[in-house]
Amino acid sequence: MQALQTLSIQKPETVAQAIALHRAGESRYLAGGTDLVPNLRRNIQKAQTLIDVSGLAELRGIHAGEQSLRIGAGVTLESLCEDATVRARAPLLAKAASLVAGPTHRICATVGGNLMQDTRCYFYNQSDWWRTTNEYCMKCEGDTCRVAPKSERCYACYSGDLAPALLALGAEADIAGPTGARREPIAALFADDGMRHLKLAPGDLLISIDVPLEAGWTADYEKLRIRGAIDFPLAGIAVALKRDGDRIAGLRVACTGLNSYPGLVSGLDALIGQKPDEAFHAALDKAVRKEIQPMASTLVAAGYRRRVAAGLARRLVERLYAAAA
Amino acid sequence: MKTNRTQRSGAGARRPLIDGVNKVTGTAHYTADLPAPNTLVGRIFRSPYAHAEIVAVDTREAAALPGVVAIITGQDCDKPYGILPISQNEFPLARDKVRYRGEPVAAVAAVDAETAERALKLIRLKVIELPAYFDPADSRREDAVLLHDNKRGNLEREVHNEFGDVTAGFARADLVREQTFHCAEVTHAHMEPHAALATYEPERDHLTLHSVTQVPYYVHLSLARCMDMDASRIRVVKPFIGGGFGARTETLNFEIVCGLLARAARGTVRLDLTREETFLTHRGRPQSDVRIKIGMTREGRLTACEMEMVMRGGAYGGYGIVTILYAGALLNGLYDLPAVKYDGYRVYTNTPPCGAMRGHGTVNARFAFDSLLGEMAAELGLDPIEVRRRNLLKAPTETMNGLRITTYGLPEALDWVERASGWRERYGKLPKGHGLGMACSHFVSGSAKPVHWSGEPHATVILKLDWDGGIVILTGASEIGQGSSTIVAQCVAEVLGVDWERIRVVASDSLVTPKDNGSYSSRVTYMVGNATIQAAENLKQLLVEAAARKLKTRPDDIECLGEAYRAISSGETLNFNDVTIEALVGTGTLTVKGTFTCPEDFQGGKHRGGAVGSTMGFSYAATVVEVSVDDVTGLVTVERAWCALDCGYAINPLSVEGQIQGAVWMGLGQGICEETRYENGLHTAANFLDYRMPTITESPPIEVGIIESIDPNGPFGAKEASEGPLSSLPAALAEAVRNATGLALRELPLTPERVAGAMEERERERRAAARRSARQPATEGAA
Repeated sequence: MQALQTLSIQKPETVAQAIALHRAGESRYLAGGTDLVPNLRRNIQKAQTLIDVSGLAELRGIHAGEQSLRIGAGVTLESLCEDATVRARAPLLAKAASLVAGPTHRICATVGGNLMQDTRCYFYNQSDWWRTTNEYCMKCEGDTCRVAPKSERCYACYSGDLAPALLALGAEADIAGPTGARREPIAALFADDGMRHLKLAPGDLLISIDVPLEAGWTADYEKLRIRGAIDFPLAGIAVALKRDGDRIAGLRVACTGLNSYPGLVSGLDALIGQKPDEAFHAALDKAVRKEIQPMASTLVAAGYRRRVAAGLARRLVERLYAAAA
Repeated sequence: MKTNRTQRSGAGARRPLIDGVNKVTGTAHYTADLPAPNTLVGRIFRSPYAHAEIVAVDTREAAALPGVVAIITGQDCDKPYGILPISQNEFPLARDKVRYRGEPVAAVAAVDAETAERALKLIRLKVIELPAYFDPADSRREDAVLLHDNKRGNLEREVHNEFGDVTAGFARADLVREQTFHCAEVTHAHMEPHAALATYEPERDHLTLHSVTQVPYYVHLSLARCMDMDASRIRVVKPFIGGGFGARTETLNFEIVCGLLARAARGTVRLDLTREETFLTHRGRPQSDVRIKIGMTREGRLTACEMEMVMRGGAYGGYGIVTILYAGALLNGLYDLPAVKYDGYRVYTNTPPCGAMRGHGTVNARFAFDSLLGEMAAELGLDPIEVRRRNLLKAPTETMNGLRITTYGLPEALDWVERASGWRERYGKLPKGHGLGMACSHFVSGSAKPVHWSGEPHATVILKLDWDGGIVILTGASEIGQGSSTIVAQCVAEVLGVDWERIRVVASDSLVTPKDNGSYSSRVTYMVGNATIQAAENLKQLLVEAAARKLKTRPDDIECLGEAYRAISSGETLNFNDVTIEALVGTGTLTVKGTFTCPEDFQGGKHRGGAVGSTMGFSYAATVVEVSVDDVTGLVTVERAWCALDCGYAINPLSVEGQIQGAVWMGLGQGICEETRYENGLHTAANFLDYRMPTITESPPIEVGIIESIDPNGPFGAKEASEGPLSSLPAALAEAVRNATGLALRELPLTPERVAGAMEERERERRAAARRSARQPATEGAA
């Protein structure tokens, strides 16, 4: 990888200072740096100034309330994996975090950084020399999407592991920005566009995540990858499920690694109140496949990822349903 | 031969490697860590084209950039190089043509990295593009443009050998099967990226190069040739290096580029390659298409084998001829095979050059052979281990192609893995989705004929003993993490019986160490080990004589106790330091030499290329792998592996175990997930995210069995212990997957995508068959 170019680093003491320091097009927020720094070194993301938010108290800590869990955006993935409250009350989050990259990454990588990570594509996550040789792509310095050369848009793929878990749990995000603070559902943070997948205004900073703690639900996450460490998800499915007798009383399915955004599978309402029989699974399969659109943005074929995503959704529903008996 | 395992540091001792502490505590200096003040930073400008004629390399703008000290292009070196004297067709910087995307075209030395990188962007390469070929079938087409004018059909080498009567062999077989296998290209993925540091002293016209090489001597030769310098003005040093696996067994372009840059800049240049550049430098195992036909009797006796091997060699010759010869030669020497026909094609393509990689040439051929052997055994209802037993060789023997086999521990290795894996109780009885598979393999303990045949011994080692009583082993053998320095120290400790702490190893500095051909073909323990033993015995002789003088007795009355020498008749003793002082009287510092040469009758068959595959001792491995296969994702999980290796004698059992475990990992990597990928010749997986090397989470528990057949010519009976086991892994894995799923998968790696694809294909066929039988009701059975 190329050397990091000369940068200045600013260390604000409060969120307000951090936001005030932010200059659109020039600065970027830095927490763990595991996503940003390789991208800077490859010259695919640019910055003159890094605003180090890792020391901000507002971004720290995990607090459990009666109804919900507040997780600071600066909490590291390792802390999330090991936190006793998270493991007891939102084990899905601990599991999803434990499947990110490798242990050394998880020591530095943060909840906010993982959630807000850049989209990925093998035409994009390459060196300067490689991209020059390939005459660039739409997402960086070029005008053609190499994945779908006739398309008007970029198909770089969202590949975070926490997002599907947060979506399945119905979490919300607290965001601070130049225009004030707001709370939004996780799904509202993302757009179906590989180049502009985050619906954030310049200077917006994720402060924390609010995860509702709903009784009677169980949840799990399956990540398709070739290796048991390091790899980003080739497909990731999170399922939250509530069982009532032999019926499914509640169901949320979310995915990652399959679109330019992490998405909640829609059209599951009709399945509520059903038994998970073959007809149920056929409908689930259809709903999952409708939501996802994997493209050739990785070296692993899109068709395969699509088939497995649907298969994993079924596996998770069956497992959670059986365990909730 | 010595088998005293309780001894602390001699032959047979389980010793941590002599340089292990330096490595794990971070005090070991690798090339990129070497302190060098006033160092310029080197960077390489690489071709964006896969195949093109160079019209101009315009460096004027780059040269004008402040801070740029030197720029060189293909014009600065007109001497081609290459590891094999008969196929030197590579220039450190491309001259007339570029032949792969990533080939070095120019290089810059500047005051810092930022300047050097900016300078690269100012270099203008003007070319006329040529048709490029990424598949051997395309480059072999009649109308294909030649990559090298003197290589017709874009073939580096064709090999056609037949030993025994293949036609008759197939005629008397009860079962003949023919299949094709495909192995993706893989690369070494050594931990340390390539790096070199060169200092040129203009006043004396001296060059010092530190590099990551496994073969400092060949680098030395290439520098002298390409830089047109007298070899005596050049010094090559190999510092600590982070792995090789064959990637560094030939001179690599960046090493010469670094030397040329230092001379052009009249100073010191550091050239640290990125991981991507390390991938592009490549020299890995070529993509191989294998067609194989095997004949077998009902009882499982092999009658004949026919193989066609097509290797995608990449853009330059490198070791290519040796690789294509190895694949054919080592079809022999593992099982008793009465007839073998081999047709090999090493093809030029516009991809980074392939080279030697652990198990050189043999891995993909063995994958095809042992996979088909397993499939045929199943067809005949024979146990896979039993089939191997019915085809064992009897040592000593000589194969049809002139390979001599003196020791053969394969029967014991088979017994060991059968027992350890619980094969008899478990094979065919595992739950759904689980399976066991097995395969065997072998490899040379050093190529009996060196690449550069100069008439010198194959190995030379010097021992120095001075007034301080310290024994310094001077060896050119490249310690690359495989433990070569530890083994030579254990050889000395064994012969002289001295304290381990008395021994130091100085390795691979051409200024002080004797020439050594380097660390390749698993030659070091065997050849350098033997030379070391001889040197130690020569030193012992001098010490015995000195002790006899001092104790006023005859040398044959002296008993060497290691740290003391004793006169048997009088019982008087002298400690080692006193013996040393006496030995130095009148002569000063002692330097003694030991050498080793492979006798000519071990140097292979008389046919063309017959030297490749020849050795004084083959290692033998048997491997069992247990897998589970996920029916949704197709992911193959290796649950356990058992590997038994006949390494002759384990001079250091701890190190042998480590080498076998490493071979298991590397073989599994090629088996389940590693694959280089190119799109229009552009490497799409030149990083550790997309080139999926297994991590420790994929590592199964590995049980290792050491079989000691005691080679009559090996050091204390030892043979090689690193490359042999690897070749058995891909076939054992594929066999385990077949056992688990019923699917014979003949394409490596067995990625989840491939496995799931095959499962789906079978499901489609089943459904189609069910539909057909539904349309044709019950009458069919009566027809």
